[in-house]
Amino acid sequence: MNTSPQIALDAQAVSRGYHRRDGAIINALSDVTLTINSGEFVCIVGPSGCGKSTLLQICAGLNMPTSGTLLANGKPVTGPGPDRGVVFQKDSVFPWMSVIDNVEYGLACRGVPAAERRKIALHYLAQVGLADVAQAWPRELSGGMLKRVAIAAVFANGSDILLLDEPFGALDYVTRHKIHDVLLSLWDESERAKRTVVFVTHDVDEALTLADRILVMRGGLVIDDLRVDSTRPRDEESLSEHEMVVLKRRMLDHLGIGHGMGRAAE
Amino acid sequence: MSLDNNTLTKQDPALPGSAIAPRPSRLRWPQSFDPLAIVGILMLVALWYVLAPIVPHSALPPLHSVVQTMFEKFWFHRTFAFYGLVDTGFFSALIYTIENVLMAVVLGGFIGIVAGLVTARSSLARAAIDPIALTLGTVPILIASPFLLLWLGGDRSSAVAMVGFYVAVMLYTYAQRAADNLDPVYESAARTYGASRGRILRNILIPGTLPEILGGIRIALAGAWGLEAIAELLASQRGLGKLIESISASSDIKTLLAALLLLGLTAALFDMIVALIFSQLTRWRHTARLAVSPR
Repeated sequence: MNTSPQIALDAQAVSRGYHRRDGAIINALSDVTLTINSGEFVCIVGPSGCGKSTLLQICAGLNMPTSGTLLANGKPVTGPGPDRGVVFQKDSVFPWMSVIDNVEYGLACRGVPAAERRKIALHYLAQVGLADVAQAWPRELSGGMLKRVAIAAVFANGSDILLLDEPFGALDYVTRHKIHDVLLSLWDESERAKRTVVFVTHDVDEALTLADRILVMRGGLVIDDLRVDSTRPRDEESLSEHEMVVLKRRMLDHLGIGHGMGRAAE
Repeated sequence: MSLDNNTLTKQDPALPGSAIAPRPSRLRWPQSFDPLAIVGILMLVALWYVLAPIVPHSALPPLHSVVQTMFEKFWFHRTFAFYGLVDTGFFSALIYTIENVLMAVVLGGFIGIVAGLVTARSSLARAAIDPIALTLGTVPILIASPFLLLWLGGDRSSAVAMVGFYVAVMLYTYAQRAADNLDPVYESAARTYGASRGRILRNILIPGTLPEILGGIRIALAGAWGLEAIAELLASQRGLGKLIESISASSDIKTLLAALLLLGLTAALFDMIVALIFSQLTRWRHTARLAVSPR
């Protein structure tokens, strides 16, 4: 492996404008330039409407920039592709396929033989703790279980880059914490090089629990780029470490709800 | 009443854990099958017998004699032959009617569903087809029938065209609405997995819209029986509708009721078969939520 980190995502002056009905152009993203290294776990934090989901969709190829270029693993992004797996905010598990067929779907699309893809799918289902419901219909599962299926599906598909768009926003506190562990343990799998994760959230604590690096967005701009060096796994205790508290206050300041708190810490 | 009953039967008491075990492939009753429907039928029969002694036999013959007539004239009836009808028994007339209805539903359904799905995903196709379908859809089918007769003649094709047209317009609307209602997240997800356009159609759009479309097919099928009978009654040489038209000329009320009963029973039988098949096709919708928490 190279000693210099490889670049997974490279955005150069990416903008995305929308025409409003009255003819004005609203920029959901303005001139975003950033690079994300291979194997990094990056969280994008910001208030709703800040452009974080738009940025993720552009990375996924589901949305196209109005100007600027985006490279994924050195290649320009022209549309969605299996090199970039996406976990959506909504439930995207196909209700008309069994759980295991859902996890296999990406592999099936790429013509992986049935026996081999079943083996891979079962491996990842076991990893997320759902091996015993492999044959169930998605309708029979809870919301948290469906998210695990979606995670197993993108990992099984072997994408180098994983894009998660507020995936756990609708889950309750306990379920969300459990699923954080599931996600991190999959990401930590040592059998191959770490995958790149871009995780969009509006939850500051979630970002601090998961990320190596946190990008803060507001008004279509990336306004801060923070590094989180605390060791994993991180629990409630780690969130109260000095470094974490400083980071949290800085983020809350950016989000406009940390008035005065940031000053006090410095 | 039937609505309430439906919601009652929908609460399928599936055993917990049954979903985890390999799925049994046995046939299930369609969710819409309602044991209470039998009560409705029994009430109708009872009403018939209450009215039968009061109303003159020439207007309302006893039910059992109608059923008897249905069986007696099932294969052959010399009066039908005397009228010079092609169908000399209920059976051959019924087969003709069934053939026409199935042809119309298959042809019209195919055209309607394909057009509905295409227009839901292509704004150009929608702009082109929507006005035509919606305008034609407002033309009462009976008004259209004289034109179809002039164009296609009095044989099978005009009846199939009339019923098929009705089915196509109806399923066009159903398929289009089903595709509009399908959450776009499924197609986005499939695209991020690298699914081709063909795969998205086969694996996402069709199964995702199937429940609504199948519901539309059942409704279209139910309506198709009546329309086919009317088409035959107006201008056909064959079919149950033609029989009904000929019988009514001789005011043979018993045979007339027998023909109607046969048509009704056939429609009900086909609906049951179709409902059974359709509920198999959409098994994934009928499963109860498991009360299992993730470990």
